[in-house]
Amino acid sequence: MMGSHISKPDEHGWVELNMGPQHPSTHGVLRLKVKLDGEIVKEVEPVIGYLHRNAEKICELDYYCDSMIYFDRMDYVGAMNMEVGYLEAAEKLLGIPPPERVQWIRVVMAELSRIASHLVWAGAFGLDLGMLTPFFYCFVEREKVLRIFVEACGSRQETNYMSIGGVYQDFNDKLVHDILEFTEQFPKKLDDIFNAYVKNDIFISRTKGIGILEPEVALDYGVTGPMLRASGVDYDVRKAEPYLVYDKINFDVPVSYKKDNLARFLVRFEEMRQAIKIINQAVKKIPDGPYFNPKAKKSLMIRLRGEGEVYARTESSKGEFGVYLVGDGGVKPYRVRVRSPSLKNLSVLPYLAKDQMIADLVAISGTIDLVFGEVDR
Amino acid sequence: MVEILEESTGKDGRRVLKVAKEDLVQLMKELKGQGFVHLSLITGIDRKDRLEVVYHLQNLEKNEYIAVKTETLDERVPSVTSVFTSANWDEREQYDLMGIVFEGHPNLKRLFLPESWVGHPLRKNYDISKVQYINMDENGEDYATFDPGDGW
Repeated sequence: MMGSHISKPDEHGWVELNMGPQHPSTHGVLRLKVKLDGEIVKEVEPVIGYLHRNAEKICELDYYCDSMIYFDRMDYVGAMNMEVGYLEAAEKLLGIPPPERVQWIRVVMAELSRIASHLVWAGAFGLDLGMLTPFFYCFVEREKVLRIFVEACGSRQETNYMSIGGVYQDFNDKLVHDILEFTEQFPKKLDDIFNAYVKNDIFISRTKGIGILEPEVALDYGVTGPMLRASGVDYDVRKAEPYLVYDKINFDVPVSYKKDNLARFLVRFEEMRQAIKIINQAVKKIPDGPYFNPKAKKSLMIRLRGEGEVYARTESSKGEFGVYLVGDGGVKPYRVRVRSPSLKNLSVLPYLAKDQMIADLVAISGTIDLVFGEVDR
Repeated sequence: MVEILEESTGKDGRRVLKVAKEDLVQLMKELKGQGFVHLSLITGIDRKDRLEVVYHLQNLEKNEYIAVKTETLDERVPSVTSVFTSANWDEREQYDLMGIVFEGHPNLKRLFLPESWVGHPLRKNYDISKVQYINMDENGEDYATFDPGDGW
């Protein structure tokens, strides 16, 4: 195995295997210290921090409006969700609510970003299990989403599209047309990808009944997002504490009670279908009006002052993304704290992988949906 | 019954309770018994003369929300890992970056930085102009050093 090193057996007859940080199936720079009894995993210790940049400290040194780019680089496969998360906190702290038009635009972009993120996950999960074909189908679809982002703001991944009190550029007719064109053809393509997975016997036998996560354990470890919902807990921040205009949109939260790898797979695919439903409603409801708050014009942006403490939570593609901002009345935040869902979801891996096969460890860590920009920050 | 020092409402409209650090674990147990099973976040704040720790809790059934605050003068706070397992990595992260020692934590190691890193970066008096380099020893473990060596 690439990047691995096997030690001599210890007193139990277990050997220690080092997976990563440069390992193709660890989705970035995850390093796992695994203790093995034959092929059975006895202990797992995740070692993280190889992509640590301390974004929290960097944000403290910058103006409120400048911190956006560091949030883009947290969950870089679904950057719009990170921007929404930061702005929910920053706009409350600075007292600059976005106009109604902006809120609808942000919902559309956040859901497109959720689809883009889940498609990366779906493709990479296939690779973890040795399936190469769906990867290309997923990335073809993702490319269409990224083209929409390029049309909106000129950038593909780290979009930097939203700003305090507004968005960088207004929606135009071509963009709305492109989005509707995408949502019309996407469900059919999604079904194709879905069938490529679930009609494969090997895929089912690798996922069904493996990596069982009980709901009590999931809550105890702070697991959120699709992983928690696949364990049968109906908790989605979009429903529990609606932000933007999610309370005016009709959509369902998929929940599975099977608790295994397959359940997490199904929940994420159903979430993509619901995202299409949300986009279709939101794009048609975008009202006329300004696309930024006049209090946050570009020339005034660096003079914004915030005081107090705000904790805002949003549902990113990985789970509950929280931003805690503390201001002391200055132009720079006093403390920025980020709750990254991937980090909390990763902390349950030692529990999930215990007494499983080493090949299933890869499959289980695949279903967690890790993005290391967000885990390490 | 735990004595609440101060009860207020934050700027985001959420209830904030302030307790002495000796009562923290007891209050957490009581809140968990009331249904606040989801510990969302643990934050350490450096107030220069003291360290503040904030816990954000969520009641999933009633959809209630609460923040618990405590503060310490000697960098020591009791650990709540016995109540919430999810506090484990959060407390390790706050120890790593903020230098808060959580007493009673089962495995209080640095989470992101190597063990030999000097200082805690999120402290206000941390000198960011002093560069530390991370290198690897023969056993494959990382260590931090002020010596740039031969560079890349």
